[in-house]
Amino acid sequence: MKLLYKDLVKFIIDTPSIEELSDKLFQLGHEHEIENHIFDMELTPNRGDCLSLLGLARDLNTFYNTNLLVETYEEKIDSLDLDFINLSPNDCPKISFLELEIEDLPDKYHDYLENYFKILKVGKNNFFTDISNYISYELGQPTHCFDRIKLNGHISFESKECYSPFTTLLDTNIELKGNNCIFLNNNEIISLAGVMGGKSTACTKDTKKVLIECAYFNPESIIGKSIKYNLHSDAAHKFERGVDINSHEMVLRRFIKIVEQHAKIKNCKITSFNSKKISNKELPINLDRVNAILGTTISIDVFKNILERLGFNITSKIEVPSYRSDIISQNDVAEEIARVVGYDNIPSQTIVMSHTKKDNNKRNLIGIKSDLKNKGFYEVINFPFTSIENESSITLDNPLDSNKKNLRITLKESLIENLLYNERRQKDSIKLFEISDTYFNNNNNLEQNLKLGIIASGRVGHNYNNFSNKIDEAFLLDVFNSVFDDLDIAIEQIPRNNLDTKIKNNIFYLEIDLDKYQLNKAHVLNKEMDMEFRKYIPISEFPSSNRDFSFLIADYSKYDEVVETINKIKGMYLKDFFIFDFYKNEKNEEIKIGVRMIFQSNGKTLSDDDIKESISKILEPILSIEGVSVPGI
Amino acid sequence: MSSFNNINPPVLSDELGASHPINQVKDFLMNLLKDFGFNEVDGPEIESEEFNFDMLNIKKSHPARQMHDTFYVQNKSNLLRTHTSPVQIRSMLHSSPPLAYASAGKVYRKDDDATHLPMFHQVEGIYVDSEVNFAQLKDLIHKIIYAIFDEEVQIRFRPSYFPFTEPSAEVDILSENGKWLEILGCGIVNPIVLDNCNIDSNKYSGLAFGLGVERIAMLKYDIKDIRDFYKSNLDFLNQFK
Repeated sequence: MKLLYKDLVKFIIDTPSIEELSDKLFQLGHEHEIENHIFDMELTPNRGDCLSLLGLARDLNTFYNTNLLVETYEEKIDSLDLDFINLSPNDCPKISFLELEIEDLPDKYHDYLENYFKILKVGKNNFFTDISNYISYELGQPTHCFDRIKLNGHISFESKECYSPFTTLLDTNIELKGNNCIFLNNNEIISLAGVMGGKSTACTKDTKKVLIECAYFNPESIIGKSIKYNLHSDAAHKFERGVDINSHEMVLRRFIKIVEQHAKIKNCKITSFNSKKISNKELPINLDRVNAILGTTISIDVFKNILERLGFNITSKIEVPSYRSDIISQNDVAEEIARVVGYDNIPSQTIVMSHTKKDNNKRNLIGIKSDLKNKGFYEVINFPFTSIENESSITLDNPLDSNKKNLRITLKESLIENLLYNERRQKDSIKLFEISDTYFNNNNNLEQNLKLGIIASGRVGHNYNNFSNKIDEAFLLDVFNSVFDDLDIAIEQIPRNNLDTKIKNNIFYLEIDLDKYQLNKAHVLNKEMDMEFRKYIPISEFPSSNRDFSFLIADYSKYDEVVETINKIKGMYLKDFFIFDFYKNEKNEEIKIGVRMIFQSNGKTLSDDDIKESISKILEPILSIEGVSVPGI
Repeated sequence: MSSFNNINPPVLSDELGASHPINQVKDFLMNLLKDFGFNEVDGPEIESEEFNFDMLNIKKSHPARQMHDTFYVQNKSNLLRTHTSPVQIRSMLHSSPPLAYASAGKVYRKDDDATHLPMFHQVEGIYVDSEVNFAQLKDLIHKIIYAIFDEEVQIRFRPSYFPFTEPSAEVDILSENGKWLEILGCGIVNPIVLDNCNIDSNKYSGLAFGLGVERIAMLKYDIKDIRDFYKSNLDFLNQFK
């Protein structure tokens, strides 16, 4: 909700600065941003009463002297004889109507009204709808204006099953389905109650006679309708959060006043339909309870003063104002006190948790992860949504992607996708694992199994011992046996013929159901976490390039110096390097060291020239060592 | 001078892998809470409306229960939990105060954009005893935030709304660029929730809090895009050894 600073401070006699007002609004729990003297409020869903200038001003009355009375029409208003029946009073316990006719439409609006549309960039519609929108902004009560000339005969409100087309006043065609709260005129649906009126009875720029509906709808009767029909509706937003059931006369008198400020009124009549007497809620005064909830020693005088300034009537009980539908318990009262005192002003009390620690039987997986990590495996986490379906799949009713409407029964497909993703990024040694729940429909019992999936392909490693060794079944079995003892498992080779890849390395996969196995205690004990939060360096989406160099060390006495120099190499675009080969030529007493350098830029795809320029600088300190050469360079 | 025969291959360092950074942060937070005295509890990701909403005082009319916010499964018979709070409910139903539970895990919301994912992780804690109050909650939250960040960090409590706590608060920390960043939600357990769990709310009160693991991880590691966590990119994962 957006509102103008200057409109809000009109209610506040002290005229605080926008910064001060902002601080107070935050203290009261009304999160917002400010831009060009406009508050963009993000109100919590329990505070429907604050979705207006008046609502926020009522809350701010705790800090400032305010004038919460808006200018209203004070003359006697004739009673309207309206052929109306409320057939669903539980959905709409109170509804009022104002019939209004003017002589001529105004040429222009007063500044306060014009500025609302201009500065907040609200679109104008027609005279009466514009006032309706302004009143909703000012007072928080939505109203709907029917063109009186377009209404004939009997009007009713009811909640009923209806399946019919409906065209809104914004000319949107929707298909009503299921139960809806609707207004009918001679059995024709003229409004989707609490959401949006219909086109057939909508006001136009020529409308001079209107029937204004002002209602309280039960929030549960309105909730979800605007989303169901994809209608953006400020009225629905407010009705869903609750409006003030006792505000109708004030709101409609305010409506007349604004009309009167712009046009000569020919005719004005009002009526109200109450299904039952509506009295304000009452709570006992229980200061001890409130202090116990907050851990404070607030006095009764402060307690009463805060509540009275928030509009509560304090007698022998706390009478809750009709606009505060969120206040139902002493905890709610405690929150009111805390908001006004300020959460940050409530002193902390040292907490001593008195409960007895119990043995923690929950299986801890940190040990398994640690073992796999030490074997060079990386943990991944995947979303559980999949296209794969079988007889035990659990299906989402409302998936984000209709192609992935099932929950995983295995981790395999996700891990294959992860592997291919990294292969496309030139990774030649890929070792991944995931520990996650999988989901099964077992004769309508929805079950979860915790599984470990391990996938590996490519080189065993990058060092000179492993560089030439490819991952095979024996490797994975060795890894598995070092993590788990005495488990019979089947390692699966994933065929590549159905995968979108040209790489030939064998892919090996294994998956075990962790719920089925008694894990080796040594691997499930919680290990101390020594957390180090190093700042992340954003990764490049550009391709990397490898360059291999074989350094020939003719004078083996320089060997240590060469290795030390290699381990310190730095260069532009050099992302990584490792020694993948080591060879001692006994006959010539020469040593060869193979180094792979990986180049990548964060800003572009590297050209050969980019890499050559970087290489020449990287090689310089190594080749300056006497007796060191790179054959071929 | 050493002989040629004494030349040894270059020393190899282990080629280590890494736990996922989200799990590292989750484990860090859980270890922290266990040190405070919380017992770790776990629960299902596929939940009933009763445990995910009703028992937590989230009424039928609450927007969170709509199809556009929650993933429902098997003809709305169940749902993917939208928070870890039902774990606390299940635990409270099987115990009596004093109790202190912490839970962590995946939660799901029907959301997918640059700043929201359909799956993310939460860590939650609940403590119920006689005379638990808001001032104590503040003390605990300060201790948690100081342990995650440092004791110099500036903290702000502001009123908020959660159906399962009353009073409710959101807690912000002041970032280096002078902006307040939301870190966690907390509050005094709504007596309705205690009564739902057969705990006498006239005798006992509780405090509860919840943190978004991705949020904490992004702040601690200075990661700008939440989607990076779930690309499974080895260049990304390699930085969290």
